Amino acid sequence: MDVCIYFQVHQPLRLSSYSLFTEHTTDGASYFDDTLNSQIMHKIAEKCYFPTNALMLDLLEKHPEFRISYSLTGVFLEQCKRYMPEVLDSFAALAKTGRVEFLSETYYHSLSYLFTEKDEFIEQIKLHSNEISKFAVPSRVFRNTEAMFSNDIAYLVERLGYTGILAEGLEHILGWRSPNYLYGVKGTEKIKALLRHYKLSDDIGYRFSAKWWSEYPLTADKYARWLAALQGDCVNIFMDYETFGEHQWADTGIFEFLKSFPGETEKHKHLRFATPSQLVERIPAKDDIDAPQVTSWADMERDTSAWLGNEMLRNAFARIESMGPAVPEKKDEDMLRTWRMLQNSDHFYYMCTKSLSDQDVHNYFSPYDSPFDAYINYMNILQDFKAKVEKE
Amino acid sequence: MRVAMLGWEFPPFVSGGLGVHCFELTRQLCEKGVQVDFFMPVSGKTVVSPHPNLRIIEVAKTELRPYLFFSKKGQAAYGENLINAVNEYWAKCIERVIAASSEKGKYDLVHTHDWLTSKAGSALRNKLSIPLVQTFHSTEFDRTSWPWEYILDIERSAASNADLIIAVSKRTRAQVMRLGAEEKKIRVVYNGVDSERFGAVKIDAKISALLKKDKKIVLFLGRLTEQKGPVQFLHAAKKVLSKNPNVLFLVAGKGELLPMLINISLELGISDSVKFLGYVPEEEQQKLYKIADVYIMPSTSEPFGITALEAMSSGVPVIISKTSGVAEIVRSAIRVDFWDINAMAEKILAVLKYPQLTSTMSRLSVTEAAIYSWEKTADETIKIYEEAMRRG
Repeated sequence: MDVCIYFQVHQPLRLSSYSLFTEHTTDGASYFDDTLNSQIMHKIAEKCYFPTNALMLDLLEKHPEFRISYSLTGVFLEQCKRYMPEVLDSFAALAKTGRVEFLSETYYHSLSYLFTEKDEFIEQIKLHSNEISKFAVPSRVFRNTEAMFSNDIAYLVERLGYTGILAEGLEHILGWRSPNYLYGVKGTEKIKALLRHYKLSDDIGYRFSAKWWSEYPLTADKYARWLAALQGDCVNIFMDYETFGEHQWADTGIFEFLKSFPGETEKHKHLRFATPSQLVERIPAKDDIDAPQVTSWADMERDTSAWLGNEMLRNAFARIESMGPAVPEKKDEDMLRTWRMLQNSDHFYYMCTKSLSDQDVHNYFSPYDSPFDAYINYMNILQDFKAKVEKE
Repeated sequence: MRVAMLGWEFPPFVSGGLGVHCFELTRQLCEKGVQVDFFMPVSGKTVVSPHPNLRIIEVAKTELRPYLFFSKKGQAAYGENLINAVNEYWAKCIERVIAASSEKGKYDLVHTHDWLTSKAGSALRNKLSIPLVQTFHSTEFDRTSWPWEYILDIERSAASNADLIIAVSKRTRAQVMRLGAEEKKIRVVYNGVDSERFGAVKIDAKISALLKKDKKIVLFLGRLTEQKGPVQFLHAAKKVLSKNPNVLFLVAGKGELLPMLINISLELGISDSVKFLGYVPEEEQQKLYKIADVYIMPSTSEPFGITALEAMSSGVPVIISKTSGVAEIVRSAIRVDFWDINAMAEKILAVLKYPQLTSTMSRLSVTEAAIYSWEKTADETIKIYEEAMRRG
């Protein structure tokens, strides 16, 4: 059985606190909070990116069969270049091993697929591929923002030449079937869906340090035994990379867990590590799945409600989408970049209002005091930006 | 369970949160089978018991409203009268409670509210050998910038004599600890709101339109004292009007700062857009919430802030200062720093400008306010009574 490990690496470009009562410069740069973004990048690099990348490189050296995969958003890569080029170097070092795959996604970690017109979505995928090709071989496996997936998304990216796509392993898509196989997608020719085993993924991502959890503390040998006991062709463990050292702090023992993980897994001879592309090459599709509605890995609902679930969100989304034809037609690079940065799903995530447990997760990530503050700031900036676009 | 509760006000004789609290709390306690004898000064108005388990016993005549005297000027002019009235009340209270105790059987405990009744409570605790529960709705630190040592001393002994202390918020708990109370005997019990009453108020759309004359309405409701932040309200009004002249600012309430506030509104050149309504009776308050487009509570120090919950029940978007007890619990309000006039103005402008923000806040506010019921307050209070009796 193949064990496929994938990490999402992303940091949003957080907005400045926009004041109606101060003068603003005419370019779009002031919309983004350079100081805050730089601070957070430095903090997370120290807590997560540097130690985890160093450990991964070490593990890849010690375990020749170890394989991992990432997707790095363009928004993250830009911030690396601007604030901490050393972080990018450490990912490039991982790429050089040849055993690390870098998946494809939208450059701006955006909601652009949800636009009615799909050209912007396609354009952002291409932008991302170009950026990745500067230090790694671009993958033919795609993962959309926050693992958004549907028949139509699979169809679109298949036409762009992709052979695999990541998705959440949800019961309402799978029915009685197991996530531990590859599946074809209804309405497509041969693209294969890789479905996240959300329970085993969240055991590390969310529950690792949860003292209320009956399996606490989680050790690598216990986890490897769980993997070994599974039935199927593959198991897909997908999570945020920031799990290591940031969501789960170093003192939880997460790094010790990671350090022992490849060795413990290799003790079970029928388990082997594989990248998403290797899965797609080796494993035939078991059956077709049907996802007419967009699914994702966000919140309890696992749909688009984290970004479109209230009146504020739907309005903000409609406003950014409506600038669609006008901004690209201006052929102004700065303006285009600003518009695209404002499509980043995180800005929307902060405006979400949900039941208490999910809201706590939104608040944890949000730089705002409330979803209302997030909406106000976003709308004030969008309005200012729109005025500039219309003026020029 | 029989409780002797010593209060200061009871509807229709109400000047602050204390009166509302006593009315709603006693009603709910009685619903749950607690026998409450509520002792209060002779008010000169008709006070009617809302429940057969509640006896209202008026013990001494006073027409002084203590909350109107918490200023330096007030202390000089009326301080002695107030102290005399309070002393007279204590003495009579003690007599009447002891008499009632021998007539109708011993009380299980005595419950006092604020410094106004605390000394009588301490005396009764000793004379009747029953536990004393003391609620702090506010402390001298919250009511004035020039704390009166005489009252602080009474509060210090109240904090030390009570078997258990109820604080209406965590920030009040901190204030009570400044008075020397041990943290382990303080319990935080938040106030509630009768959300059905406020939600049920209807205003005819035509009448509302006639009153508003196409203007948006921003409402301030509270005593006109420094702690309630009316000065910040006027400065924020000035900022709002500079961007949107079509707004009317209503100031409901009376207090020592009224002449000064009128002057400030003249100096700022906004007197045409600010209306001082004076004291507004409760029924009219409910209507004010309904016609308002924003309710703002800019208090510099607010132990709880029941009006914020009332406004939320009415479905009006609420902006509250972070230095309020209610800000510890509510999620559907926007929170600002009381000193940040720009932020206050920006949030007001946004609520008036973005209909999706208003509708989301309104919908969530109504749902959330319903959680904070007086029944919940009473349940938690009963638990504290039981704990005090076990200790006693």
